[in-house]
Amino acid sequence: MLDARIRKQFGSRDGGGPTIDVHFRATEGITVLFGASGAGKTSILHAIAGIIDPDQGRISLGDTLFFDSASGCRLPMRKRRVGYVFQNHRLFPHLSALHNVLYGARPDAGRAPRERARELLALLGIEKTADRRPDQLSGGEQQRVALARALAADPAIMLLDEPLSAVDVATRSLLIEEIAAIQEKSGIPFVYVTHNHTEALRLGRRMLVIDEGRIVQEGPPLEIFNAPRTAPVARVVGAENIFVGRILEHHPEDGITTIDLGSCLIEAAYNGLPPGRRVTLGIRSEDILLARERITRTSARNVLRGTVQRVMREMDRAELVVSAGVDFKVSVTPAAVRILELEPGREVYLLFKARALHLLA
Amino acid sequence: MILQSLRLSLLVVSITTVVIAVAGTAFAYLLAKRRFRGREMLDALLTLPMVLPPTVTGYYLILLLGRRGVLGEPLYALTGWTVTFTWVAAVIASTVVALPLMIKSARAAIESVDPEYETASLLMGKSEIETFFRITIPLASKGILAGVILSFARAFGEFGATLMLAGNIPGETQTMPLAIYEAVAGGEDATARWLALILTGISVTVVYLTNRLSRPTPGR
Repeated sequence: MLDARIRKQFGSRDGGGPTIDVHFRATEGITVLFGASGAGKTSILHAIAGIIDPDQGRISLGDTLFFDSASGCRLPMRKRRVGYVFQNHRLFPHLSALHNVLYGARPDAGRAPRERARELLALLGIEKTADRRPDQLSGGEQQRVALARALAADPAIMLLDEPLSAVDVATRSLLIEEIAAIQEKSGIPFVYVTHNHTEALRLGRRMLVIDEGRIVQEGPPLEIFNAPRTAPVARVVGAENIFVGRILEHHPEDGITTIDLGSCLIEAAYNGLPPGRRVTLGIRSEDILLARERITRTSARNVLRGTVQRVMREMDRAELVVSAGVDFKVSVTPAAVRILELEPGREVYLLFKARALHLLA
Repeated sequence: MILQSLRLSLLVVSITTVVIAVAGTAFAYLLAKRRFRGREMLDALLTLPMVLPPTVTGYYLILLLGRRGVLGEPLYALTGWTVTFTWVAAVIASTVVALPLMIKSARAAIESVDPEYETASLLMGKSEIETFFRITIPLASKGILAGVILSFARAFGEFGATLMLAGNIPGETQTMPLAIYEAVAGGEDATARWLALILTGISVTVVYLTNRLSRPTPGR
């Protein structure tokens, strides 16, 4: 288990620059650090890896103490056994894919490093690239080699810094599955930095939302995306409502697909996916209307009854969380809050068009 | 005279180049990667011969290594041997004069290597030394090689400091540039021409090679 307490002030000593101040634990499984760029996610990874030192704090992995400002302990990075995947892969440009993987390979269970390196390339489906240089690989292949390279050194923890930000969407969804499988097989904790909803949802057992160097909310990704507790969290996770459901039935002649969210049914634009298939859907919080009464004759295919849970006011708008079996984030103007008397406990109707729902995965 | 000085020049310059390649890379590494007190002072001191007239550099070397010199005197007392007016002095003089070119070029090359590559290597459990030899040097190899070639050329043409420290003894310390000077001074035009031609030929080849090396490889 990783236990990290990190305080670091960047820039001027008298509090001018950005600050990191976090304390979290990462157990087995994937812990997602979610936040906008510049929020301090990468600095947190750097502190764990030993690339930077906190001003204050204590970082340990299991029985190994990485850093402790109180006792002055500082384990050099080469002794931390950290597998690190950089945002832009950072494969050694003068070495072939195989030699990149071999570079840090440790012998494992009696197998020679070369054997292990080949195995890792095979595991990631890139044995054919073994003799190629990094600049002759596609973006997806580069990140696969980078993953294999990090794993070859037999790490005790993996740190991944937006590893899929530079690969195309199709490759990304494949790699997401591969990373999930690798994590399960390895049994070591992964700390995964991203600001991509799909990656966070699929990979994160637990998610920490980072804003201005602080953890502003933590919990299961889906829960946080749909029910941010505060306005800063709502801003960081974005305006997207995300739902996981199953295809129930199709009405092609109406252009409609009915989706079962477990606690309610919603109608999305016809998509032709096989019934029973698990899907992830999104709808932006601005695309949802609120009404105090049930409106029946409307073009909006979805009319759901719900209860206002939270009202978070910002300067020129208000972010609401409305529960209708599942939680919806709804973004309205302060005027709407005043006129509809929106407050926690208020019963409202949610209206949205089938076409406003879009398929994420 | 021609063959003798050519042979001596080649001997002096090959030893000088090897010394510079090793010491220059080590200094460049220190200056580029290590933070220590007096780092910029060391850089300035090592660069000084590039801006001083070679005769002044040579004069300082006499003060340091001559029979009465700061280091030369104890050396003479201990061994009865003085470096001045030997071919070793020619090596020392050309090394000191040509080293800054190597350091400048290699330091820039080492500093231009993205430190994330080195970080990646350290994170894979490698020591700083192993990282330097297996990652930094290969990635900085063009600049390092260019530095070696430039300092080779500079050492090959070294005149002033060599004359001061090593003198102009045929067969002992008279390298090609010194031989040319003597040939011209003594009116031996044909000898001077041949020497100049050979020296030019070698230097042109070296500059051509440097240009080729510093050109980016296509497709990178």
